[in-house]
Amino acid sequence: MKNYLKLVNFEVNRFFKLYLILIGLTMLSQLIGAGIISQTYMKNAKQLMAENQLSMNQYVEQYGTFSFDRFTDSEWFLLPIFFCIAMLMIYVFFIWYRDWFGKNTFIYRLFMLPTERIAIYFAKLTTIMLLVLGLIALQILLILMEKQIVNKIIPIDLQSNFSIYASSTLNMWRWLYPTSFTEFILVYALGLLFVAVIFTAILIERSYGLKGIFYAIFYGLLSLGVFFAPILLVNVYTNYFYPLEIFLMVLVTSMIVLGSAIWIANHLLKYKIRV
Amino acid sequence: MTINFNNRDPVYVQVIRHLKEQIAKGFYEPGQEIPSRRELANQLKINPNTAQRAYKEMEEQGLIFTEGNMPSCITKDEAVLKNVREELIIEAVDLFLGSIKSIDVPLAEVLELVKKKHDAESGEAEESK
Amino acid sequence: MIEVKNVNKKYGRKQVLKDISFTAEKGEITCLIGINGVGKTTIMKAIMALTPINSGEILMDGEKITKKSFEKITFIPDTITMLPQMKINEAFAFMADFYKSWNPQRAEELLQFFKLDPNERIANLSKGNTAKVNMLLGLSLDVDYLLMDEPFSGIDIFSREQIAEVFTSHLIEERGVIITTHEISDIEHLIDKAVLMDDGAVLREFSVEEVRENEGKSVVDVMREVYRA
Repeated sequence: MKNYLKLVNFEVNRFFKLYLILIGLTMLSQLIGAGIISQTYMKNAKQLMAENQLSMNQYVEQYGTFSFDRFTDSEWFLLPIFFCIAMLMIYVFFIWYRDWFGKNTFIYRLFMLPTERIAIYFAKLTTIMLLVLGLIALQILLILMEKQIVNKIIPIDLQSNFSIYASSTLNMWRWLYPTSFTEFILVYALGLLFVAVIFTAILIERSYGLKGIFYAIFYGLLSLGVFFAPILLVNVYTNYFYPLEIFLMVLVTSMIVLGSAIWIANHLLKYKIRV
Repeated sequence: MTINFNNRDPVYVQVIRHLKEQIAKGFYEPGQEIPSRRELANQLKINPNTAQRAYKEMEEQGLIFTEGNMPSCITKDEAVLKNVREELIIEAVDLFLGSIKSIDVPLAEVLELVKKKHDAESGEAEESK
Repeated sequence: MIEVKNVNKKYGRKQVLKDISFTAEKGEITCLIGINGVGKTTIMKAIMALTPINSGEILMDGEKITKKSFEKITFIPDTITMLPQMKINEAFAFMADFYKSWNPQRAEELLQFFKLDPNERIANLSKGNTAKVNMLLGLSLDVDYLLMDEPFSGIDIFSREQIAEVFTSHLIEERGVIITTHEISDIEHLIDKAVLMDDGAVLREFSVEEVRENEGKSVVDVMREVYRA
């Protein structure tokens, strides 16, 4: 357990520089974007008001209010998010492969630590989750800051109410910021499951070489199949199951997928892995 | 202190021989302390086990002695020390005889040459001092 | 004692280890000799559970290798196993963090012996110094067994001499050491036991002093006999 925590700390530190860059880029792009978007809007609005000699109320009647969506739909806001997601997706693979293919093959050291090798797997898994949660927390903070920026530039009278959950175009918000604690657990458990399956697939490839690529793909598809089995079932027998039953079925298949991912990883790390 | 080891004789035998030469030369006095096994291994760049073996063998032959945890010392037994010298000389002479035998030279001629060469070399040595 | 018993290993169709058996005693230096690609490194990896074997058994002091074994046995591969961006003292901290058997005094002593700067980044070290740090990280663990893969290859002569000196010192005394080499002549006098390998198999295992004593042969003489046969 102690070694697991040390490994988590170590893994987080290894990504930290890049992480800071991601955070910096996101902040820079979103904060600047919030300023630019609001300022452009205001400039435009003022010009229209001056040209047509409109009062603020008349302007709102004719042209509508400024919605915060206008910012959250912009590249300023979305691009850094997509970039962060892409980087983390790449890092899910890189967090393993860098230890094999780095200039100094660090995987030797990791596998010769006097600790269960599965602790390395858990540490890397935890690291990915921490990095994701960190970015999400950052995004919540940033949204609050961006709202402030917009409020400073655009008078409240010109703005419509904004709730991130009401945001029409950004359904993904529900995924990133679930409304209840249960939903939160579910969404991130799903994420965890996904990363665990990828990790195990990577270890399969690392254990069996070229053949391993096929095994890994097969394993991934199988896991996906098991996970989606209840949903398929529900689609076939519509209105047959209660929501709780569906939920329990998903829970069971998820546990099967996660359990087998960990079991296989542990077995491979102990008996099959190659450096 | 280094020795050019040959690869065919056991290293420990070569180490013993090296020490015997040192004794014969008078490099070590009777009863004088000698390096520890570890130091010797390090100086001669040999395996510590080999040094250990050499010391054990030398103790058995009575060349050195060790009291308790004290460092090993050269024996004080004059007879043993004298033997070492003689043994080395005889060995060298045997070797020498072996090689002149194959060229078949009369002994007198050889001895004359030996004397001449030896004088010249020690003369050179004197001069260079 | 490390016992390698009838170990077989296949890579695809190629049999890379063929019924390998040998032992390495504690307090002795055992040398696996053979040209590159005969399976020396693979055996070391197999001992450390870094690569699977198809059959056979590997024991250390009568027990299989588990996570606990890594406090008692360590492997120094032919490349350094620390992150290049780490400084030497950061690498020390890493080792101290994870190994109970890490001996900081010895690490310090070796640092001075090799004349290395602890604030140097591993990536900036010369080849010889990298090899020394690699060796240092393994030697500073208070383990009973040390495996070293080609400790003398690819480095300058002075680094070689320094590393050879390690073998004649208290740093490896009482420990069991297995080293591999494809070039024996430099270290003939350092080793206790030779294991000659070719094409994934052990051809002969012998005590070098015994062979000198009983047969008057050097290691190279025996190699000539074995490999030319």
